[in-house]
Amino acid sequence: MTVSAVRTPALIRVPAFWVMLAVLAVGGLRMAQLAGQFFTSYPKATATSVVLFALLAVPFWLVVAELDFFEPEPAKLLVLAFAWGGLVATTVSIPGGVALENLVAKLGSPQLAAGWGAALAAPTVEEIAKTLGVVAIVLVARSQVNSVLDGVVYGAMVGLGFQIAEDIVFAVGAVALAGQGDQVQPVIATFLLRGFLSGIWSHTLFGALAGAGIGYLVVSRERGRPHRVGVAVLAVLGAWGSHVLWNAPLVVDGLGNGALALLLVLLVKGLPPLVLILLLVRRVHDSEANYYVGRLARLDDPELITEGELATLRSGARRASARRLAAAGAGRAAKTAVRRLQRAQARLAASPSPQAEAAVREQRAELRRLGHPEAVAGPGPRRHRAWTIAATVVGIAVLWVALSALGGA
Amino acid sequence: MARISRRQLTNVLGAVGVVAILGGLAFGLPAIDQSLPAERQIPDDEPYLIGAGVTVVPPAGATLDVTGTRPGDSEGTVLFRVGPVRYAIAVRPFRGDLTAAADQLRQRIVETTGYQVTSAQLKVSTAGGLAGLQGGYTAPGRGGRYAVFVGDGHTIEVTISGNDLDLGRTLPRIEASTRTLR
Repeated sequence: MTVSAVRTPALIRVPAFWVMLAVLAVGGLRMAQLAGQFFTSYPKATATSVVLFALLAVPFWLVVAELDFFEPEPAKLLVLAFAWGGLVATTVSIPGGVALENLVAKLGSPQLAAGWGAALAAPTVEEIAKTLGVVAIVLVARSQVNSVLDGVVYGAMVGLGFQIAEDIVFAVGAVALAGQGDQVQPVIATFLLRGFLSGIWSHTLFGALAGAGIGYLVVSRERGRPHRVGVAVLAVLGAWGSHVLWNAPLVVDGLGNGALALLLVLLVKGLPPLVLILLLVRRVHDSEANYYVGRLARLDDPELITEGELATLRSGARRASARRLAAAGAGRAAKTAVRRLQRAQARLAASPSPQAEAAVREQRAELRRLGHPEAVAGPGPRRHRAWTIAATVVGIAVLWVALSALGGA
Repeated sequence: MARISRRQLTNVLGAVGVVAILGGLAFGLPAIDQSLPAERQIPDDEPYLIGAGVTVVPPAGATLDVTGTRPGDSEGTVLFRVGPVRYAIAVRPFRGDLTAAADQLRQRIVETTGYQVTSAQLKVSTAGGLAGLQGGYTAPGRGGRYAVFVGDGHTIEVTISGNDLDLGRTLPRIEASTRTLR
C-alpha cells in the first residue's frame, strides 16, 4: 500500500484513458439525448428529480469517499467512476436489459419473463457493465488501486452513479405512467421509495462488492492467479446474486403492494446482503486501518500520535467521536483542529516524510493552544449510537407515512 | 517510429476487451434478440389470461408477441399481432373512475412525440357488461384506436395501431375481441 498522486500528464500517456474517454463521450451523448426527451416532455418533473437525486448523491459520495481515510482516492478518478456508472453502464444496460428480458420470454415463456425477467436480465447486464467500470479504472490508473478497499471505493462510486441515473429515469417514467402531465408527485414518491427505502443496499453496495473482487484480483499478488480470479468471480457473482434476490418475485407474492409486503422485502431481501456486504467492507477497512495505524505506532512519538489517538484513528465512528468531544470541550475551532490533525496523521501514515511530520506537529500545537491537546474518542459512543438508531427509526416512520400519503406504499 | 511497450500493449488490449464486452451487451444481446422470432400461435377460440384475472379471446388469426406480454397476479400486459396491426391490452391497479382512466390514457398518447388524439370519445361496452370509452389517434405514418375500461380496482387499456388500410381490414375482428374482455 503506497500512495501516488494521479496526474493528468500521466493519464494522457495511457492508451486506455483515451478509449475510456471515448466510451464516456458516447455514453454521455446518449444520456444527454434521453435527458433532452425528458426535459421536453416533463420539464418540471425532470428538473425536480435531477435536483432531488443529485442532493441524495452528496451524502453517499461523502461516505464512500471517506471509506479510505488513510489513502483517499483522487477526486478525478472518483468522478470517472461515478460518470461510468451514470453514463456508460446505464447506456449499455437499457438496450441490453430489454433484449435479455425478451430472450427470457422467447426461450422460456411470457410467464417466466413476467416473474423472473427483471430478476435475471437486469442484474446480469448491469453488474457486468458496472464491474467494467472498476476494470477501466485499473486500466487507466493501476497505481491508484493498491488495496482491496480501493476496489470497494471505486466499485461503490460506479454503483452510486448508476443508482442516481437509474432513479432519475424511473422517476420520470413514473410521471409518464401516471398520465397526468408534468406533475412532481410521482417524482417525490419515487424519491422516497427508491432513494431512501431501497437506496442504501442497491447499486452502491453491489458495486462495492464487485469492486472488492477486482481490487483483490489486482493487489493480492502473493496469491496465485487462479485463486485471485476465483475470488473476483465470486465477488461479482455475489453482487449479481444480491441483485437477483432484490429483484426476485419472492416474499412479496400474494402480499400485494402494501406496508407488510414492503417491510418483508426490506427485511428478507434487502437486509441480508446489506449486512453481509457492510461486514465485508468493514473488515477490508479495518485491515487497511490496522496496517496504517501500525506504521504510525512504530514511530513511537506521542507528539505525532498518542496511544489513545492510535485507537481513535482506526475507526470512522471513533474519529467522529473525537471531533464531537473536541467541539463539546473546546469549541468549533478545536473540532476543526482535530479533523486537520487526523488528516495530517493519515497522510503521515501513508507517506512518511519530514513535511508530513511537521504538519502533524503544527496541528498538535494548535490543539494545545486551544486547550485540547489529545484527539481521542469520547466516552459515550453507545449513547450516540442509540440516538442514531432512534433517529433512523423515526426517519423510516416518517418516510412510511409520506409514502402512504402519496400512494406509493 | 516509437515502439509500443509490452505494458502499453496489455493496456490497449484490456481497453479493447472492455469495449468489446460493452458492445456485446449494448448491440450483441439486441442482435440475438432480433434474430429470434417473438410471435407464437395461440388458439383464437378460448380466453387468454392477461393479468389480475382479466381475460380476452384473441382475434381470429392473431399471434401472441411474447416481448410485449407479461401476465401477473395484480397486473399484466398482452400484445397480439394481427398481420401488421399491433393490438395491446394492459391491466393495472387503478383508483379512480372511467373518465379519469380515459384522461390518463389520452394524456399518455399525446405526450408521445407526434401523437394526437383525433376524435371525441364514444361509449363502448363488453359482452360481459363492462362499460368503457373509446377514441382514435394518429401517429407519424400510422393511425390508432384506444379503449379504456374500469372495474374491480383495475383499469384495462386497449391500444390498436397500424396503417389505415390494415386497420380498416382488421378492426372488426379486433373490436369483436375487445368485446370479450371480462
